[in-house]
Amino acid sequence: MLEVRDLRVRIGRHQIVHVDSIDVPAGGRLGLVGESGSGKTMTAMSIVGLLPDEAEVSGSIMFEGRELLGRSDVELTRVRGAEIGVVFQDPSRALNPMMRIGRQVAEAIRLQMDLSRTDVRRRVVSLLEQVQLPDPASLLRRYPHQLSGGQQQRVLIAIAIACDPKLLIADEPTTALDVTVQEEILRLLVTLSEERSMGLLFVSHDLGVVRFVCDHIAVMYGGGLVEVGPTSKVVELSRHRYTDALLAANPGIPAADEIEAYVGRRLTVIRGSVPALGNFPSGCRFRNRCEFAVESCIESPPVRTVDDDHRFRCWNPAVRSVDASVG
Amino acid sequence: MPALVEISGMHFRYGKAGGRVPAAWTLRDLSLDISADSTLGIVGESGSGKSTLVRVACGLLRHQEGRVAFDGREIDDWLKSSPKDLRRRNQIVFQSPRRSLDPRMSIRRALAQPVRALERRVPTDAEMVEWLARVGLGGEILPRFPHQLSGGQLQRIGIARALSVGPDVLYADEPVSALDVSVQAQVLNLLMDVRSQLGLTLVMVSHDLGVVSRLCEEVIVLQHGVIVEAGRTSEVLADPQNPYTASLVTAARAVSLT
Repeated sequence: MLEVRDLRVRIGRHQIVHVDSIDVPAGGRLGLVGESGSGKTMTAMSIVGLLPDEAEVSGSIMFEGRELLGRSDVELTRVRGAEIGVVFQDPSRALNPMMRIGRQVAEAIRLQMDLSRTDVRRRVVSLLEQVQLPDPASLLRRYPHQLSGGQQQRVLIAIAIACDPKLLIADEPTTALDVTVQEEILRLLVTLSEERSMGLLFVSHDLGVVRFVCDHIAVMYGGGLVEVGPTSKVVELSRHRYTDALLAANPGIPAADEIEAYVGRRLTVIRGSVPALGNFPSGCRFRNRCEFAVESCIESPPVRTVDDDHRFRCWNPAVRSVDASVG
Repeated sequence: MPALVEISGMHFRYGKAGGRVPAAWTLRDLSLDISADSTLGIVGESGSGKSTLVRVACGLLRHQEGRVAFDGREIDDWLKSSPKDLRRRNQIVFQSPRRSLDPRMSIRRALAQPVRALERRVPTDAEMVEWLARVGLGGEILPRFPHQLSGGQLQRIGIARALSVGPDVLYADEPVSALDVSVQAQVLNLLMDVRSQLGLTLVMVSHDLGVVSRLCEEVIVLQHGVIVEAGRTSEVLADPQNPYTASLVTAARAVSLT
């Protein structure tokens, strides 16, 4: 459904993103994982043409067999909302504080669909029910500040799915929320994606969250993909040293009987910090922080494939006993 | 031996005293003892009062009812007779290292502030290099400004600055949540190291149960300004008694990688 090929984003003299290939099939859920400056948000926003004006984008973004790159804003407006919905990070900033909830959801429908007033209202109520908000009829008349962060994010999801999009892009949708609320919203996104066979492109810095939601994971570092594959393989059989290091550095919650032993135990660290834009090394961009860097890392690493569906770019990947045959 | 920090029946609310309609209590009837050399995690949802509790405990906010004492003396007494000693012995590291440093102040000046304010002297470069070394930074950053440094470096400076006056208690309010995932582990390890080297009492606010389970032997769970559960971290996480704690642990486990 969504096929991104050789996507490059430049701002000024810096190439910020170079993604060779990303696919989201109908109903598929792809997690785009990376730290600040990895280019994950830029990649996601280039699909809907929501990049700053000075960004130069090249490559190909095919959606349902149509090229999205190079389309005018007017044409993209028809795609955004109607066929691709977007949910942003901070729900309190994405809603208009002066407008009642009902009107904000209705606006999303009216922009794309020609419905009577009663039909719009019926649809708004049904959408609020689908995102599991209690008492939708009275919610219509509320203002955003009267809702909790989790409720606000549900309203934004309702707006994003108002016109039955085939793809939903969610950029860190739960980062601003509490852990318990986060779990509810994540479950909701999975349910909606399953019920509607809606593709999901889920952008997050948190591998744990992405594992919970997505069937595939694409790990980004320094503007490029370092590892892509089915969730279980990327998390349990990670090959790229960056993915591996990220997993090891995550504190996680130990099993009930191991917690005592965890207190005070040092975490595995990744040395250094993410370089500023333009300061990444040549070749493998992670090599200045990698414990396993070898001489060849000054060259750009080739894409290697395991089992057809698991790709990574690393000269000296982690060795896994299950796959002796690395292509 | 009495606890280092003793809080009993404490109530706190924001807003001016004597306002016509008093605000609701932010913290209600809260009792808590923090013994010297312990590690305490404070968890709970946003708005539950975690950060407020930390600020009340170290005397940055004044509670209205109940008792808050440090090292056997009432906080009010400390603030009246020897506020600087109270500040020197209780230091805080904040969530956003970038926002807790003045962007127009060099690291040298920023780092010198606590000693200048509390000891009324200007620390030497040699001293400051030593403080920086303790947090894994070099003296070459002294003339630099915050915008020239990464979030991880700035948080190390925040820790170095808090340690510069030799505190007994280090309060850390979400110390790694503003940092990149790959940098969080470095700062958490640093907190563990300085804690054991200096024999500090560590009180850490965090929404991340994974972080708390690594650093804190004890934990309290706050909900709507009330402690709903308290105990050893291992016991609370393994067998939560309160329904809210249980939902917190379940939700955190769902997205945990271990």
